[in-house]
Amino acid sequence: MTLPLQDPLLSAEGKGQPSRRTGFFRSVLRERKSAVIGLAIIIFFVVLAIIAPYIAPYSVTTPSCAVYAPPSLQHWLGCDDGGFDMVSLLMVGGRISMIVGFAATLVAMVIGGGVGILSGYFGGWIDVSLMRVTDYLLVIPDLVFMMVIADLWGASLFHVIMVIGILEWTSTARIIRAQVMSVRERAYVKRARGMGSGNFRIVWRHIMPQVGPLLIANTVLTIAIAIYLETALAFLGLEDPTAVTWGTILENAFQRTAISSGAWWAIVPAGFAIAAVIVGCFLFGQAVEDALNPRLRVAHLAIRPWRLRPLVGRGPGAI
Amino acid sequence: MRGADYVIKRGIFAVVTIFVAITINFFLFRVLPGTAVTDLSRVPHASPQLQHALTVEFGLDKPKWEQYVIYLKNLLHGNMGISFTYQQPVTQLLIQDLKNTIPMVTVGTVAAIVVGIITGVLSAWRRGSIADHTSTNAAIFFYAFPTQWLGLMLLIIFAGTLPAGGMSNPFLFGAEPFWQHLADIGQHMILPAATLMLTAYGSYTLIVRSSMLETFGEDYVLTARAKGLPARQVVRRHAFRNAMLPLVTLVALDLGYIVGGAVLIEVIFSWPGIGLAMYDAIGQRDYPMLQGGFLILTISVIFLNFAADLLYFRLDPRISE
Amino acid sequence: MSLLEVSGLHVWFEPPSAAEVHAVQGVDFALDEGERFGLVGESGCGKTTTILALMGLLPPNSYVAGEVRLGGQNILAGGEDSVRAYRWKDIAMVFQGAMNALNPVKKVGWQIAEPMAFHGIAQGAAARKRAGELLEMVGIPAASGERYPHEFSGGMRQRAAIAMALACEPKILLADEPTTALDVMVQAQILELLTRLCADLGLALILVTHDLPVVAQVCERAAVMYAGEIVEAGATEALYHSPRHPYTRLLFAATPDLYGRDAMISIPGAPPRLDTTAAGCPFRPRCDVPLARCADDHPELRLVEPGHQAACHRNELVGAL
Repeated sequence: MTLPLQDPLLSAEGKGQPSRRTGFFRSVLRERKSAVIGLAIIIFFVVLAIIAPYIAPYSVTTPSCAVYAPPSLQHWLGCDDGGFDMVSLLMVGGRISMIVGFAATLVAMVIGGGVGILSGYFGGWIDVSLMRVTDYLLVIPDLVFMMVIADLWGASLFHVIMVIGILEWTSTARIIRAQVMSVRERAYVKRARGMGSGNFRIVWRHIMPQVGPLLIANTVLTIAIAIYLETALAFLGLEDPTAVTWGTILENAFQRTAISSGAWWAIVPAGFAIAAVIVGCFLFGQAVEDALNPRLRVAHLAIRPWRLRPLVGRGPGAI
Repeated sequence: MRGADYVIKRGIFAVVTIFVAITINFFLFRVLPGTAVTDLSRVPHASPQLQHALTVEFGLDKPKWEQYVIYLKNLLHGNMGISFTYQQPVTQLLIQDLKNTIPMVTVGTVAAIVVGIITGVLSAWRRGSIADHTSTNAAIFFYAFPTQWLGLMLLIIFAGTLPAGGMSNPFLFGAEPFWQHLADIGQHMILPAATLMLTAYGSYTLIVRSSMLETFGEDYVLTARAKGLPARQVVRRHAFRNAMLPLVTLVALDLGYIVGGAVLIEVIFSWPGIGLAMYDAIGQRDYPMLQGGFLILTISVIFLNFAADLLYFRLDPRISE
Repeated sequence: MSLLEVSGLHVWFEPPSAAEVHAVQGVDFALDEGERFGLVGESGCGKTTTILALMGLLPPNSYVAGEVRLGGQNILAGGEDSVRAYRWKDIAMVFQGAMNALNPVKKVGWQIAEPMAFHGIAQGAAARKRAGELLEMVGIPAASGERYPHEFSGGMRQRAAIAMALACEPKILLADEPTTALDVMVQAQILELLTRLCADLGLALILVTHDLPVVAQVCERAAVMYAGEIVEAGATEALYHSPRHPYTRLLFAATPDLYGRDAMISIPGAPPRLDTTAAGCPFRPRCDVPLARCADDHPELRLVEPGHQAACHRNELVGAL
């Protein structure tokens, strides 16, 4: 099964003025170690997701060991309640989890981008009403809302993707709207309009490149949220139980009494995998966001104050 | 009164949002196709009379907009239908569940805020030190581990020393003194509340830290130092109060996440609250309960958001319209 | 003995991952009681850092060398802890941009009373009363003490900052660009206020500014700083009428004539980087009358006539600049 893997990091790079934008990212990576670590983690899991079916040691459809078999040389992380090898489960599960995360984020980006562009470009009552809608959505608790929708709609991966996407677009919408509004007023946009460019062309060629880095940071952070929400929905039984994702791994472990069986290996590794991806997304996304909002401040307070230096000789040539 | 219009504006917004939530609820459960199963009158094993009474009560045979009005009227009277599973009024059941959820969530959230503030201030004060890095990385890690996993880990580690589920020991009957009941409930609350604390505190640490560092660079902090105040007092009297403002905002925004986390935690620890009720309702196809739970949780969050607005307003004298 | 004697003051900053900056390079001057002294120069010449150093108000990543003697005692000798005892009681400061120098979440009256309470001069109601008197003294109604800074206009905030600086009756007042970011009418009022207060209260004043007319109006003596050093010092009259350093001359000439009679002159080039040490006179790249020796012989501050010093090799030549 090949689902097109939309990697926002790769697809955004070719648009607008590539040299300026990749220059920005290169400087972020150079200056912030956390960005490098974050990106490395993300890339690692993306690669893993792609090659998982080829390197998983065992099948995830036919059992290969005893129920809750503990870690051994053949099965490094033991097996789960169905006799499936944990390492393979984690690899394949990671693939699906990443796909769900990216796909849900894509939905959120599309909706958020659309709302942001409409809101920012046309302003007026369109803007006001769309922003009101986002305000309401922000207050209503995410997971609870998703529980209701997912339950009514039916448990499936597709529904999970859609449900996450239609509730997580608000931050994207805000960012894009702000950028569209600021760029809309600039001279070159007005000139382009004067020359008869259609609205869409203006948006695409002039506005999108400006918003690139911030959008990428937002995308990465949304992926983290989406992955978390997938595991939560799976845990609550709102995902296709036959799907293998990190979320269903945890759900199975809980439902099939892994704890009382002492099968910690059915629980612990999955958590680390999820946390690793989220930490990676968080580090990279935060680093990019911080780089876009430089706060050069002098600290007037710290635990260690200024220090004296003994004067050697006198006069300006002294030190 | 200063900023009366601000308070009123936020109050109106809260009311409107509640209204929007109610409408969404109605839309999801009554208007969307496939809602035959969610028909409030189809209480399993109900007598025809009860079914008929419900049909009349909720106007299930009338056009949708009339149903909506009836629905609103019923809500105003606190009527959310009858639970399919328990054959009892949803409102009563959920209020009882809410009474169980509130203490656990409150303890967990307050603990998260306190831990977040302490670690955040410490990190900012000793910026760049090992304590800072440890604290910050710990915050990121606990924030990244999914809530349900943290709960399961606590269960694994503490099963045997702390109660593994439920809210109270079922063998303790009414004959025991009240404080013993309280202690029992408290003991059962430790793990769920601790899970909530661990999952929520990380983002608070980070924001307190960055907010304090930002405050450290403000001119009024330099002024305070210039007045001869020692650094600790400058932090306490001047920096702290200003740095807390973004935390209030964050906690308010975070409420949805906390509620979601509470649902997962109640499932893991079988804590008899609204989260568990909604989870059971899903499994038992008890749609009135699901609907009611969603509404009550949403209204609670909206209300708490409004309270946070008021708190922020109280703390920051610059807000006046 | 002068009230304040500064000798050999050096300040270095250590920015993260960048070369060390030598912001103040051996500054000497003295201040007598009741004297009004101006410190002039472009942005980045080190004048603000110099006066911050007088109170030890430097950021953590900085180093200081030299002596600041108040009544004979070197107040910097024991580092931050020792200089703290002199803050506000002996030397007080009015900061640049009082907009931010006042804490936005505390009432103005409270902020004025705070150092009084801390230094044990007055407590509670007495302190508040005294704060009110100080506000009256700077031309603001005493009742405004109950307001918050954001309710004040820019000029009022600056006045409040002056009132706050006078709270503990210091002998020396440092004013860092007190009129920048204020409009011209208000500027004149603030300057007049400062002059009057210093005369009435017998305060010594060090006024830091890049704005020459301000110095001319308020200060009896002044020093011109360039690239971290004092390049000329003397009576303001002397600096204006007979400058003995090319920079001073160009500075006074560069002040735009309000009636547009003279052509606009600006000093081409930019001040040197302070993170590298170059040989010779730091002003040489921008000087219009350099000599051969200016390239590698650093000029020292020397007396050119009584009460007038300058650091320029030209003063050793016969003939005017």
